[in-house]
Amino acid sequence: MNNAAALRFLVVDDFSTMRRIVKGLLKDMGCHNAEEAEDGVQALSKLKEQSFDFVVSDINMPNMTGFELLAAIKADDALKHLPVLMVTAEARKEDIILAAKSGAAGYIVKPFTKATLEEKVHKILQKMATPAVAPNPRA
Amino acid sequence: MKMDRTADLVPDVPAASPEVFRQLGTITRQLHDTLTELGVMPKLQRAADRLPDARSRLTYIATKTGEAADKVLSSVEQAKVEHASIASSTRAIAAAIVANPVRAVASGAVMNFVGEVEASTARIDRHLTDIMMAQDFHDLTGQVVAKVVSLAADLEDSLVKLLVQAAPHELAHKVETSALNGPVVDRTGRSDTVANQGEVDDLLASLGF
Repeated sequence: MNNAAALRFLVVDDFSTMRRIVKGLLKDMGCHNAEEAEDGVQALSKLKEQSFDFVVSDINMPNMTGFELLAAIKADDALKHLPVLMVTAEARKEDIILAAKSGAAGYIVKPFTKATLEEKVHKILQKMATPAVAPNPRA
Repeated sequence: MKMDRTADLVPDVPAASPEVFRQLGTITRQLHDTLTELGVMPKLQRAADRLPDARSRLTYIATKTGEAADKVLSSVEQAKVEHASIASSTRAIAAAIVANPVRAVASGAVMNFVGEVEASTARIDRHLTDIMMAQDFHDLTGQVVAKVVSLAADLEDSLVKLLVQAAPHELAHKVETSALNGPVVDRTGRSDTVANQGEVDDLLASLGF
């Protein structure tokens, strides 16, 4: 997880306990640079003000849900490159499919283990390092 | 008579036809009769009376579990700092012993390390005890949860009867479940949810993600 250590994470969850747990697990993985946001609105505001490399977000949150946050990130040219890992208690298939189709980089159902989070983050980072399509020469 | 009074109160609203009021009256009477026949009203009333109590019980659970979680996480964070300190001191003393064993003992570094470890483990033990004690919320909230579950079962029973009677026939089987978002606590007989992370991964893989 050496490449993850240098990254800046944004952990979004309305429960402070879950934010602390995810941050603690990231810390154990060597990722000491993680910020917190209580909901989608606060997350979006922080994403526009500061620079992040990775978003870990809950789905059911007040003010702006994880799905709405995901849509806002993917609709913003400056943010759409950010990988968004959904970590949620929502275990319905339609939610998992919706998350994938909306551009989520991964989906973890609660309760989860440290190994699951580690595996998903690692997998997403590997995918980011290997572009699936050739870059647009006009871009 | 009542129509005239309504018109006085809301002068800008065009007068509705007497037929509308007749139909509204019929519907209200039907609803009242149905509820009375079903015996739902007294039950709903009792359940509604208990709702403020349920709210305070749920608030109590949220408070207790939140406090416990905070206490546990704080203790874990502090214990991890102690643990990291021991690990670091161990590496340092090991290097000193390898380099010059006599000097490491003679300088007092070994005994200092022993004292440091003893003090640190005592502090870690206190954190572990705090974590253990923080679990007392389970016993307290468990009892409260049982009472709220009983209230919820009463409400569900009454509302399902009401729904079946009131909903149009073709819609009676379609129950909107979006209000029940959150953890699926009982997957028995459900095929619309996943049971574990493996099923999430399989589902996403089957879709090409």
